[in-house]
Parts: sequence; C-alpha cells; structure tokens
Amino acid sequence: MNATRTNKVEALDIAAPDPKAVEAIGRALEAHYASLVQAPLPDKLVELLTRLERDRVSPPPRRPDALG
Amino acid sequence: MPSASFKDELLAEIRNLRAFAISLSGSVSLADDLVQESLLRAWSNSEKFQPGTSLRAWLFTILRNIYYSNYRKRSREVQDSDGLYARRLTVPGDQESHLDLEDFRQAMTKLPAEQREVLTLIGASGLSYEEAAVVCQVGIGTIKSRLSRARAKLVELLELDEASHPPVERKVRRAG
Repeated sequence: MNATRTNKVEALDIAAPDPKAVEAIGRALEAHYASLVQAPLPDKLVELLTRLERDRVSPPPRRPDALG
Repeated sequence: MPSASFKDELLAEIRNLRAFAISLSGSVSLADDLVQESLLRAWSNSEKFQPGTSLRAWLFTILRNIYYSNYRKRSREVQDSDGLYARRLTVPGDQESHLDLEDFRQAMTKLPAEQREVLTLIGASGLSYEEAAVVCQVGIGTIKSRLSRARAKLVELLELDEASHPPVERKVRRAG
C-alpha cells in the first residue's frame, strides 16, 4: 500500500512566486502595517495602563460599606 | 505583582499589539477591545513572562488566544477597518513599479486568517520564525509553509504573476 503520509507540517507544494512580486508584497505589507502602527491610539488603552500602575503603587482602599 | 517598569514596557508595545489585532480581526473596534483584554491579562499574569524573551511575542500570543477563543466569530460580522485609512496610497516600488495599497489591503482580507497572521508576524511586526511559531503554536515548518502560501495567494489576487497575466492587466503599474 502506498498511502500518503500525513505530515504535521503543512505541505510545501507551491511554486515560488516571482521575486519581484514578493518584493512588492513585502513593501506593501510594511506600508500597510506602518499605517496601522501610526494610527491614533485611543485614550482608553493608555488610561488603562495608568490605572493599573496607580493601583499597583497604592491599591484602592476597600469600601467601608463593604463591611456592612 | 508587576515590576515598576512593566507598565512602560507594555506601553511601548501597545501600537504593535493594536496593529496585530486590527490585522487579525479586520475591525478597529474589536481590536481595541482585544488589546484592552490582552493588557489586563498580561498585567495580571506578569510573573509568567520570562525576562530576556520577546515581550511582543508574549503579548501577541495572549491576544491571539483571546481572539480565537472569544472574538473570531464576531470579527466576521464587524469589518470596519476601512475607516482607519484616510486616503488611497501607493507603495513606491523599485525603478519601475508600485502597488496600490488599497488593493493590497483588500487582498489581505481575502487570505485565510492563519496565513494573514503569519504574513503580519514575519513580514511586518519583526518576529522571527521561531517566535511566530510560538505565537501560532505550530512548528517552524508550518510557519514557512503558511508564509509561502500567503505570498503566492497575494501574487494571484493582485495579479502580480507575469507568467499568467499580460503586463497591461497587472496591478503593478509600469511607470513612465
């Protein structure tokens, strides 16, 4: 029996694309990603870290009413 | 408890984390929720981060796990990243070609998620093959295979294959 062996690594059965096309894709990918990295950052993300850091330095006190 | 510098280290990675989240989910609003949840999880698990390893890769792993556990279904319903791009841009090429960035973005959305994420991790976010393999929880061979497939698919979608398309029809436009 000549069963096809299933490899855990997905088979590499595709032809290598034109190097110039790969280069063009690489440049476009970098430009696309750079535009995402440079996009304005929502305040809530930075504020979240500021709040976490503040709570680390001085944990919020337990609410008095929590004791009943 | 996180170290005093941990906040600054996370702060330095937020933009990359968000860029990866947008690439993965195709949605800015989902990406912001994803990043928020990832930062909270990273903060509460800071002792599990191994100093000397890539914080970016560790954060990407956390974000990816949250995405595939809780967000993937939602991301098919919300695709709102278009609003992020104010204008069409072209990517300068070598002396003879350039690629329309909006065409590229559209083609990226047509890739399977596992190919898109590998392309982003290796080709843009600066992770090594080894780090990408850890993030995606597969072997390096699979990372290489997915990367090759992603590139080949983009070449096909963008009609960059000179052998099968006459130059006049190709998305790479000859200058001059």
